[in-house]
Formats: sequence, structure tokens, C-alpha cells
Amino acid sequence: MSKLVPTIGIEVHAELKTKSKVFSPSLNAYGEIANSKTNVIDLGYPGTLPNLNREVIDLAIKACIVTHCDIAPVMYFDRKNYFYPDLSKGYQITQQTTPIGFNGYIEIVVNGLKKKIGIERLHIEEDTSKSIHEGESTLLDFNRAGIPLIEIVTKPVIESGEEAVLYLEKLRELLLYAEVSDVKIEEGSMRCDANVSLKELDSDVLGVKNEVKNIGSISSVKSAINYEIERQKNLLEDGEQIKEQTRRYDEKKSATVLMRMKESNNDYRYFPEPDIPYVHIDEEWVEGIKDNMPMLPDELREKYQALGINDIAVKALIARKDVASFLKNVIKLEGNPIISANLLTGDVLSYLNKHNLTIDKTKLDEQNFNDLVNLLDRGEISSKIGKELLNELIVYGGTVSEIIDKKGLKQISDIDSIRKLVRQVINDNMNVVEDYKDGNERSIKYLIGQVMKESKGQANPKMLNEILTEELSKDS
Amino acid sequence: MTKYLDLSLNEINKLLKEKEIKPLDLVNEAYERLANNKDLNCLITLNKDEAVARAVELEHMDVDNILFGIPIVLKDNIVTNNLRTTCASKMLDNFIPIYNATVVDKLNEKKMIIIGKSNMDEFAMGSSNQTSYYGPVLNPWNKAKVPGGSSGGSASAVSSRIVPFALGSDTGGSIRQPSAFTGIVGLKPTYGRVSRYGLIAFASSLDQIGPMSRNVYENATLLNALVGYDEKDMTSADLKPEDFTRYIGEDVKGMKIAIPNFYMNDAVDKEIREQVLVVIDMLKSKGISFDYVDIDYIEYSIPLYQVIALAEASSNLARFDGVRYGYRTSGFKDLDEMYKKTRAEGFGNEVKRRIMIGSYVLSGDNVKTYYDKALKIRRAIHDSFADVLSKYDLIIGPTTTTFAYNIGEGQDDAVKSFFDDLLTIPVNMAGLPGMSLPIGFGKNGMPIGMQIIGSKFDEAVMYKLAAFIEKELDLDLDTKEETR
Repeated sequence: MSKLVPTIGIEVHAELKTKSKVFSPSLNAYGEIANSKTNVIDLGYPGTLPNLNREVIDLAIKACIVTHCDIAPVMYFDRKNYFYPDLSKGYQITQQTTPIGFNGYIEIVVNGLKKKIGIERLHIEEDTSKSIHEGESTLLDFNRAGIPLIEIVTKPVIESGEEAVLYLEKLRELLLYAEVSDVKIEEGSMRCDANVSLKELDSDVLGVKNEVKNIGSISSVKSAINYEIERQKNLLEDGEQIKEQTRRYDEKKSATVLMRMKESNNDYRYFPEPDIPYVHIDEEWVEGIKDNMPMLPDELREKYQALGINDIAVKALIARKDVASFLKNVIKLEGNPIISANLLTGDVLSYLNKHNLTIDKTKLDEQNFNDLVNLLDRGEISSKIGKELLNELIVYGGTVSEIIDKKGLKQISDIDSIRKLVRQVINDNMNVVEDYKDGNERSIKYLIGQVMKESKGQANPKMLNEILTEELSKDS
Repeated sequence: MTKYLDLSLNEINKLLKEKEIKPLDLVNEAYERLANNKDLNCLITLNKDEAVARAVELEHMDVDNILFGIPIVLKDNIVTNNLRTTCASKMLDNFIPIYNATVVDKLNEKKMIIIGKSNMDEFAMGSSNQTSYYGPVLNPWNKAKVPGGSSGGSASAVSSRIVPFALGSDTGGSIRQPSAFTGIVGLKPTYGRVSRYGLIAFASSLDQIGPMSRNVYENATLLNALVGYDEKDMTSADLKPEDFTRYIGEDVKGMKIAIPNFYMNDAVDKEIREQVLVVIDMLKSKGISFDYVDIDYIEYSIPLYQVIALAEASSNLARFDGVRYGYRTSGFKDLDEMYKKTRAEGFGNEVKRRIMIGSYVLSGDNVKTYYDKALKIRRAIHDSFADVLSKYDLIIGPTTTTFAYNIGEGQDDAVKSFFDDLLTIPVNMAGLPGMSLPIGFGKNGMPIGMQIIGSKFDEAVMYKLAAFIEKELDLDLDTKEETR
């Protein structure tokens, strides 16, 4: 037996963040009272008909654009027939034959090398209701029934759990930025299944695959896949055959466990949904959506780098769409992007993380933040006061000038007062001054710090710098 | 006893306007007639309390349209809010809907009064009204005979003059065939003409709700009330409003009509063919020209129907699973057994047979062998009809191959019931409007129906010809029942 290599394909289901459901006017909402966001269509009452929500197509087109998929000019829906209590009509409306998107890719960077993960298909379907098992009985919540989903299926080109994670993170980022989905795995608005098989390195024949369903987090995807690779490798090396199975990942055991054997050819009796006419998607429709696309992470990354924002801040910004869009507005107000980015990814972000908030849930607004940035930019306040003002703005709001007045943070811009402080600090720190004169340039920073301390941070930093330099250059 | 319901729609309307009668008089009369014709078994559920209340309510309103206060029955596969809707199945014996079909809202807007829900073949599957869970319906012309189906209760109720109007639904002939068997006028509108929202689906790509009435003018009048784009039905057509009675009374001279050779073949009862020829000769004398034409693949309509309609039905009826509404078996160990027993006990044999055939043609590779191929042939039939209709104003032929037959006949033959629809199914396949019009009687005293087929959305032209024939023939269509 030659070396065994894994082949992995990922299926992602993402809920589209439309106002209403895909085939009914019920609200598309999460966390509502069970069965309060449902109607006769969602419940599959006799005589009801699906009414396709155009916003679903709009968002699916967006998803196709960000995943570089070709878009079907004509598409229709199919019925997937099977019996299960969570499926109200006895069939799921999906797209088997004409997925809206196909033949796309997402680019990831693996160990510094770019790799395209091919996307086989992207299609629209409706979600089922949610089963809640309670002892002997099962309760059904139809709030989820009919929520629009897109399913995105990769080609079997992923080679490790790590690659799968990179793919998922990138996909998640794209769908989030394109405003297609909330992609919250914990709320079920993004769900991942992984198909894992092993093949011999020099063979073109794929091995028998096992599907791991509904993996609860991106990091679990990595562990689940790596576990599965090991498990299958061990079986094959022991001379056993892999049987097609559906498995799930048990986070506590850190292992995949058998759910059910795959029966040969599950017969879903697909046929075209006769209640929904064909949908024609012309160039104009697609172009209209392209024109209104928000900026995507890669473009944003380039833009930030061009503005001189450092890589760590760029990464932090991309990961926080709320903060990134705040920054976008500050830049519109012509605030210094570097200072803004540093404040946002520093103090602001740590406050947000600590309190588990998005930036719009704080008192901070773009205008006040921009005023603060401008003061810092012009060197009119020290970074220490900047920090204090920022904390005040986040927690209590108000304007920068109000806070300065209220807290007595008014700057000392009087030459004589500053000079007095400078002279005092020089007198008190003659040894440091000697160091400076000996060529230790860094000593000046200490002296600045001391003056700031004496002035309670209120000395105009620019003037302080000038006066200190002037005083030090005098012969003592 | 009053006989207002024997008057024409215009006469009734005049009496209502002049306050000579009240809607309640009409309602009471309808229920009396119903009671006197109980043996016909036309209705499954009566709406008496509501109908009386509505009639009283209407007394205080202006008679604002010609359908005001007129009694009607609805086939029991049309969903009515708070009024039991069974599809003539044990499966829905206890089903009380919580919403109205779009057509029901439309009838309510016109202030028509719903007398009850009419009997039918279970889930509209059958052509003789013998598959109903609530027992067979009788033909008022001869109570030993079937009224046809699946809209048998609607046909029988109008034919016996219990009510002037009924709604039916037509998937392969379910309005036209019973209309022919009972001597009334029944129209299957163009697919998309009338909203299907609230019609319990049999075969979604073929189903259409349509009016059943005593005469042509009244049929067109009821159609006026039913049509219109409905945003709840994506297959409904968005068209300008029109008056379907507008050509009635116009001269038919110069019309060109096609007769498909297939419609006059030996499978059609000789007496029926001869009666159609009598009408053709009469029309020729009035300046209409006729040609015999061929329509491609029309002879495959029945197998085509069995594949397409039953495939769709197998999926449409999957929702009756005992989980959310309708019948649920009493004893079961697990989910699978609940499904199996519920469906085995809740559905009748014809329905189960059709679900099985439909599931079979969609299974595995069969979908390519049967279903996909059937769709292609369906397209060819559609195109061939369109070609003929581009050269002719209308197509005519008989509605049925036979007269209404005896109750109990053909029950054991699973294929025979489809053959009742030999001449009506092609019209559904092509999505065209089709009508059945009484044109005479056989030696057995049973009515004969003639079918008129038009171009898509050309119902007004069909009514023009139908009204002309009706006037020329001037048939006595009263069943002469002394019971009313």
C-alpha cells in the first residue's frame, strides 16, 4: 500500500439574513417564542403554496459573487421527498438540478502559498423546523421552518483539518462582509459537514467517504477531520474496509461517533417544484447587486495597508466588522486613519471584548471619536489624556470638549508654566540630563514623562518637547 | 314551496334589487331542495348556520353585483376558514382550516352565500365519485348512474338545481366530465387564470379551479368573479381584468374551428359522436368552417397523465402524515409505525394506488425513464395544440367517450377510470381552457357534453360559441324532479 492521503470536501449551510422566510411572509428571526414566527405555509397546511422571496435570490447572488461562482441564467427549484416530523410538507424545496451558483472558488493561504478551494455548487433551500427532544416526546418549533439557506459544497480538494479551517474562516468572513449571513455557528446560522476519505497517493480513485455532520465550531472541524483521518488510516492499515457512514463529532470525547450507516442510494425522488416558475437571472440583476456590494475583506485589507495601518491592527479590524465599519466612517470624517485604527484595535476593542459588546452598543460615536483623534493628531493632548477621554466617551458619551472642561483636563499651553515645570524636572534629574548629554537620546523620553507627570498629563506635548529640547541644549 | 332558484340569475338579481325577495329566501330554498334530494349525496358538510347568518347580514346591504346573495357550493378540496374541508377523505375528516382559499375570499367579496362543501372523489382521484369516504354521489338524471367525477357532488348539485352554481376543480377532466354526465356547463379555465391558493393540491401543474353552472352566461359571470392575479400563487397569471360575457350574443359567422381526428375515433360512443356531428352541421349552416386536424402525441395523454399527475400527487399528499393535522392512527410503537398506520388507515385504496404509482415513477432511474420523458412529450403536445390554435379560433370534440355509467361499474379496473378522461386530459397537459356544454341526450336519456377548447386565456371566445350553440339547441335541461 502506498502512502494514504486525505481528500476532504466541506458542505456549509448558511442562513440568509432576509427579513422574511424564503416562501412565506413569516419573520426570519432567531430566539423568538417557539412557533410564534410561523404561518400556514411554514406548517405545510393543505392548499398553501410557496411564494418565493426575491430578497433570497439577491443574497444568493451576492454569495455567488464573493465565492466566484458562475450564476445560472435560468434556474428552478426541486422537491426532495422524505418523511420526517420536522419537514412539514413531506418534501424540502431545494435546488438539485440547477444550483444558482456553480464552479466557483475561494482562495486561502496555506503555509504562505495561495491555494484555490474549488466550489462545486451553491444552492438555495429551505430550512426544516427544529426538533426538541424531551424525554419520550419530541417538540417541534416551526420558527425555523422555511428560513432561507444556502448550501455551499466544495470539491474534494481539501487536504487537512487545518486547510478546512482556513477555508471556513475565509468563507465566514466573505459571507459576513457581503451581508449575506450572520454566520453564527453557535446559533445555527452556519452549519458545517465534512466528507472525509483516504486515497492512495498515486491513485486517482477516491476512497469511501464518511460524512461528519453538524460540527459545532470551526475549531472542532479541525479536530473532527484530523480524528477521522487517523481513524480511517488505522482501519485501512489493519486491512479493514471503510463503510459509508454518517458520523457526528462528540466534543467531550474529542472523537467522531457513528450516527447511522448510509443506505445505498437514499431515494429522495427529486423532481422540479411545479408551484414555482423558472427564475431568470439576467446580467442587469447581477450588475445591480455588484454595484451595491459592500467592501470585502481582501479589498479592505489592501486599503488599510495602503493607509499605513499596521498588520496586527489590520487583522483585528477585519475580524471585527462592526469596528471596521466604524473606522470607515471616521475616515470619511477625515480622521487620521493610523491613530484611529490604533485606538480602535487597542483600548476600544479590549473594552468591547471585556464587555462582550459591539461598538454600536456603546456611547461612542464617530464624530466625538474623530474630535479626539484630531486633538491627538495635532499633538494638542497627550496620549494619556487621550486614553482618559476615550474611556469616558465609550462609557458615558458626551463631547470631547465637555469632558475636558468637566474633568479639568484643559491643556497647559502657557510657555512660562511649561518652562517652569521643565526646569524643575531638569534640576531634580541631573544624572539623567548628564546621560542625555553623553549621547543617550532615549533619556529625553524619561524627562518628558516626568514633566507630564508633574503636569498631570496636561502639558501640551508639542510645546513640552520644544521647550525641553531648548532647555537641555543650554549649557548648564 | 318557492321556486326562485329556477329563475335565471338576472331575474333573481332583479327580485333582490326590488326587495321582492331576500337572500334568506334563496338560502332556505337551497336547503329545502338539498333536504329533498338527500339521496343524491351531493354535500359532505353543510354550512347552514353561517349561511343563514350571512343571508340576514346581507339584508342590510346594497345589491351591488349580480352574484349578490346567490347560493353556491364548493368542492370539498377548496379550503374554507372555520368550515370543515375533507377532500372526501378519512384523512381530513376532522380538518377545520384556519384560512380561506383565495377564491373563497373572492366569492365573499361578491357576497355569494356558501351553502356547503360538495362531495367528490377522494383527493379528486377518480372519475365517478365512487372513491369518496362519504359514499357515492348519484346522477340526478338517473340515480342508478354515476355523476362523473371528481367534481361529482358539485355537478349533481347544479344539475338537480339545488344551487345555481358550484366550484369544481379539474386536473384531468374533473369539471368537464361530470358536467357532461349531468347536463351542465363546466369550465376548466386556462392554467394560471384562477388562483390555486387554498386548493388542496392533487397535481400542481395541472390543477385548476373552475365554475360549474346551469348555462353559459351564468358560467361566464361566475368566472368574472374568480379570476385575477394572486401574489400567493406564483403560477397565477397577471392579466388585465376582462368581462367574459362580452362576446355572448355576437354572431359566430366566419369562425374557424378544428376537430382533432383523435376526438372522433372509435373509442368514443357512436351516439355521442353523431350528436357532435349534428352540432357541427348546424354550425356549418351558420357560417362556421371546420377542418379535421391531428395533434401530435395526443394518444399518449393517459400514460402521460399517470406519470406526471401521479408523481406530483405522491409528493403533494406526503404532508398528510398525522403529525400536524388530520387523522392520526391511535396505536403505534414508533414514528415509522405512526406514519405507516396513519397513511394506511387514512387514505382509501385509489389514493394509495396512485401514491404508489407516483412514487414509483420518481424513484431512482425511473425519473429519467418516465418522468423526464413525460415532460418532453407534454411539451410536444402543448406545442402541437398551440400550432393548431394559431390557425383556428377554437377546437371542438366530445367531452367524454361514454355516457354516465352505472354505479359500481368499473370499480375493479384501475385503468378504466383514467379512460373516462381520454379527451379531457390533453387540455390539462397543454394548460389550455376547456369547457363542457350540454348538446343533447342519448337514447338512454342521459346528457351528452361537447367540449370546446380555446387558446390560452381565450375563454371569452369559447363562451361566445358556447352561448350561440346553447341558444340554437334550446335544450330542456331540467331533470324534472318533482321533489323540489
